[in-house]
Amino acid sequence: MPFPTPVPTIAARDPAPAPQRGFDRRSFLKAAGFTFAGTVLAGCEKGAVEKAIPFLVKPEEVTPGTATWYASTCGGCSAGCGILIKNRDGRPIKIEGNPAHPLSKGGLCATGQAMVLSLYDSRRLREPRISGQTAAWDAVDRTIAAKLAETRDGAKGVRILTGSGAGATTLAAIRSFSAAFPDTRHVVYEPLSIAALADAHEQCYGRRIVPHYRFDRASVIVSFDADFLGTWISPVEFTSDYRAGRSPEGPSRAMSHHVQIESRMSLTGSNADARIVVRPDSMVGLLGGLAYYVAKETGAGPAVFASPAAPSPRTASGSPDAEDAMNLLPLLARRLAAAGRKGLVVCGVNGIACQALAASINDMLGNAGVTVELERPTSSRTDNDRETQDLLAELDAGTIGMLVVHGVNPVYDHPRGGVFSAAMKKAGLTVVFAQHEDETAEHADIILPKGHPLEEWDDAEPVAGVVSVRQPAIAPFGNSRSLAECLLAWTGERTGAREAIRRAWKSAVFPRQNAEADFETFWNASVHEGYAVVDPVPSGHHSFDASVVPQLPAGDRKNPGAGADSSSGEGFMIEMYPTVALLDGRHAHNPWLQELPDPVTKVVWDNYASVSPRTGKRLAVEEGDVIRIETGVHILELPAVIQPGQHDDVISVALGYGRKGTDRFTSVGPEWFEAVPTVEPGETVGRNMAPMREIRGNYVSSYRGGVSVTRTGRVRTIASTQIHHSLHVPEHLAPKNAERRPIVQETSLAAYTESPGAGRFETHKVVSMWPDEHRFTKHRWFMSIDLTACTGCSACVVGCQAENNIPVVGKDEVYRNRELTWLRIDRYYTEEEDGVSVAHQPMLCQHCEHAPCETVCPVLATVHSEEGLNQQVYNRCVGTRYCSNNCPYKVRRFNWFDYSRGDDMGRLVLNPDVVVRERGIMEKCSFCVQRIQEGKIRAKQEGRTVKDGEISPACEQSCPAQAIVFGDLNDPASRISASRKHPRFYRVLEEIGVEPSVGYLTLVRNLPEGDGRNG
Amino acid sequence: MGLNNRILSIFLGSGLLLCLTIFLTSYANNVRLPGNHEGYEPVQPISYSHRLHAGELQIPCLHCHSDAGRSRNAGIPTVETCMNCHRFVTAPIVDVKAEDQRAEKSGEKPRRIISAELKKLYDAAGMNPELRPDPGKTPQPVAWVKVHRLPDFAYFNHGAHVSAGVECQACHGAIETMERVRQVSDLSMGWCVNCHRGSNAQGVNGRAVAAPTDCTGCHF
Repeated sequence: MPFPTPVPTIAARDPAPAPQRGFDRRSFLKAAGFTFAGTVLAGCEKGAVEKAIPFLVKPEEVTPGTATWYASTCGGCSAGCGILIKNRDGRPIKIEGNPAHPLSKGGLCATGQAMVLSLYDSRRLREPRISGQTAAWDAVDRTIAAKLAETRDGAKGVRILTGSGAGATTLAAIRSFSAAFPDTRHVVYEPLSIAALADAHEQCYGRRIVPHYRFDRASVIVSFDADFLGTWISPVEFTSDYRAGRSPEGPSRAMSHHVQIESRMSLTGSNADARIVVRPDSMVGLLGGLAYYVAKETGAGPAVFASPAAPSPRTASGSPDAEDAMNLLPLLARRLAAAGRKGLVVCGVNGIACQALAASINDMLGNAGVTVELERPTSSRTDNDRETQDLLAELDAGTIGMLVVHGVNPVYDHPRGGVFSAAMKKAGLTVVFAQHEDETAEHADIILPKGHPLEEWDDAEPVAGVVSVRQPAIAPFGNSRSLAECLLAWTGERTGAREAIRRAWKSAVFPRQNAEADFETFWNASVHEGYAVVDPVPSGHHSFDASVVPQLPAGDRKNPGAGADSSSGEGFMIEMYPTVALLDGRHAHNPWLQELPDPVTKVVWDNYASVSPRTGKRLAVEEGDVIRIETGVHILELPAVIQPGQHDDVISVALGYGRKGTDRFTSVGPEWFEAVPTVEPGETVGRNMAPMREIRGNYVSSYRGGVSVTRTGRVRTIASTQIHHSLHVPEHLAPKNAERRPIVQETSLAAYTESPGAGRFETHKVVSMWPDEHRFTKHRWFMSIDLTACTGCSACVVGCQAENNIPVVGKDEVYRNRELTWLRIDRYYTEEEDGVSVAHQPMLCQHCEHAPCETVCPVLATVHSEEGLNQQVYNRCVGTRYCSNNCPYKVRRFNWFDYSRGDDMGRLVLNPDVVVRERGIMEKCSFCVQRIQEGKIRAKQEGRTVKDGEISPACEQSCPAQAIVFGDLNDPASRISASRKHPRFYRVLEEIGVEPSVGYLTLVRNLPEGDGRNG
Repeated sequence: MGLNNRILSIFLGSGLLLCLTIFLTSYANNVRLPGNHEGYEPVQPISYSHRLHAGELQIPCLHCHSDAGRSRNAGIPTVETCMNCHRFVTAPIVDVKAEDQRAEKSGEKPRRIISAELKKLYDAAGMNPELRPDPGKTPQPVAWVKVHRLPDFAYFNHGAHVSAGVECQACHGAIETMERVRQVSDLSMGWCVNCHRGSNAQGVNGRAVAAPTDCTGCHF
């Protein structure tokens, strides 16, 4: 019997049902009606009442609804670019380059533009903490004063560890602090160190200086692994100068020839006219070889270069190797020698032999004062690896009474970070100034909140003679004090940061100029302009000391890759590099930068191992396959990205990832049932590569040899904003040897000189189906982008994001191709016989005159304006996405969700002049119509017409290379009218007849006759 | 069955009536009705009279709304702006005169008369009846109720209109006759565009203007 127990029925349990009571249908409806009516009334009552609360007392300079601009100095890295901070109703909402600044000249990099978002980071430290407990500054000062007295009495030392770029005021404060506490030393630690460059100049020229390089004056640039357009020393200034020296027009056609020698595809390499791909450990041999040939060509070198280089290159997998590179050196030397004073060799390798060789080549070229300014050095860079090592030893020995760390994070980014954190414990007291409770701060006894660069008084001298003020654009969110203020307070002197700067300037800066006789006038002008040009302090270097050269290891000069370092050995090398966005990791808490596509790989939200296509094939690794990298000391698993232009023996991985606290981005994207978190809870965004770096001869080296690489068989999602990398039609869509698509049109300087139409594809005869549809009687907005100037640095991408309230969508959404950036930079590879060439092409709404999107919108949410704009009207849009389907350029972006714009504090960065789009709305580039309207209204109010250049979209404004020109085509004298008639002008997909309002100028590469492109 | 229902109906009905009564008597003027809110006339925290200031006393609009000519926002005067005059004017002239007469009659020194509405202003400024800063009071800006409100997707710039010569009354109505400000125009898109088209055809006060009729004139 399957059911031994009878199953009870409902009737059995409830034998006497009660008579039905309560509501019948009619009563229910009545009650419902009443309730509904009541709800509606309640809803009417006070729902939409809004308050308008004016100031109590209006500050004189603030007009609600209009922007106030403050000149200041960027604090994103130590380059110290000039910025203008746009303040609306008391809060900074955008940072732009200061066009008057003598170095950065109006440009600003992606990192600098994103600094405004990190101001509103709600996780920044607000209050001082002693042993984890929130404390008042008084208590902090008392504790530190007691410890300092104890330190002095116990004859122990005080060490102040800061990053590069300290200004006159901080240095003066350190000096007066040192006077009070004699055994005090200031140690400058920079994770992206160029210490060897400074040390090499100390050996060769007698002064520890980093020269100021002038790319604008160079006609031949040879860069040994210096990513000067991306992350090296001062990328904005260098990009601007580089572009200035590379114009294929003009009577002289002064376009420099740029050769990049590197092992990975860097941003700078992607712009080079020629790339030579070598292993990082071959650099010193190649530099020695080049020095030998340059000495031969110029006849100027010291005798030591007289013996011919004997290359014995190491090859691991039959890739283009050092031997091939060696064979190119005589040609390179000939070019450099021909350029003479206009030749320039830069070296990004942090090794003394390399740097000394580069300096000696520059000296042989006689370019001092022309392309290499030694009299006017880059005074912001005083990185010192040796002293950082000494500090570590001192800490370990327990001779340090107090350690002050300001704005650097050695536990995270020093190769011996683990040792550092242990050694910190041996100091009597560690005081760390930090914006977040970071890896170093968590080991500190006292954590002090470090102010954001937008809320602090500070100063800088990026290049000798250019002094620059940093002024606060908002009152500090936290209870922060500047380093100078603290150091002075600890010596018993209460001075505000502003007063400290004024005092330092009065004594150290004001006497260096004679334009102003009165200090107040000079100070006010400097704060107003953001900078002042004064006499550089003489660097006091002597002429090149050739006796240094014979001391360089002989093998360095003669044998590429031999005996130079411990990196030799078979197998792979791993190279660690900073990215344009995160640099050494200091910007890891900034979601704009985390989601900024890498300029070369276009990957977001992760670091990964770049492997060459050939190596990928050899190891059977495809994009996203997780590979295990073993160095003998470390084991690391990372997803692979196949990178054309990469050396076959070299795996490169970005620094700056794996920062503590980046699991905050777990829920950065929209929450829905299929959502995949950007980072797993408790994990970090990417992996920290800093411990993999080696200390080699006192310098932090960016590469390591003897690495083995194996497949793990696992796969990790890589989110990239570009999936098609070639201009050729994919094989499955087109016949073999299909033509290269004319999206990027390029030519060589020689061909262009011969015929202005070189590189241009034949234009189609387009018959319009819309004759005379639009008559642009007032303005006709138009944009052109010079592909020769564009370096792909991505400053415009972040500039656009800041200006137009574009949200961050998270890794998963990017993977689903749902990123919202209005402006993207397409990067195309062209495989060539001897390597790969790269083109960067900013792609944004082309504002087509015959826009395909407009004809398919069923609700007229996208229509044409009488000034040539393709308008997107958010309040009309119903989200059919037909427009996006019909867009040939794929520049329309759809809001699949109500994307988070951060917390209450994060939302303060929103631009009040631009609508925050909601779910179900299509959006796209508007040519920054809010700026157009603002410019037009200003002109009307002043009773004049709009001036050319007055209206500038965020992308044009931010471009360090000034590649973008925007203006009114109806103004025949405008820059854009000239650009429209330029022989290099073309439009993308012109043949489909949509008449875009964005054009491009062809990409011209300076490829001298008979030159191949290696790599 | 019938009784229960009837009781419920009476209960609900009277509740609704009560709601309506409370609502109509006390909040009627604060209601923002669905639609374009034409006729919205909320009670303000201080019953400031535009009729008196702009009408009778003929103070120009831009005297207090000084940003209207140069900014997107017309700007609501700060307490400090009010105090420029009301440091001296503390009550209606009739009350002051009455006090003067009384004082004259009784031979006393006239007392300072502070009207009930202006007391609110002095409270906001953190001042005592002697118009001196009162340490016991925290100065607080006045939370005015916004009358004219455009949705966030519409950009409006006062400066552009004022500098083009558009009268304030063209949109705000005869504000100088209003005891309490009322929304006169419906501020709908059609109303805006009609005016822009008309102005482009006929000009504003005899001056040719270029009023945008593109979507992105206002929506971006």
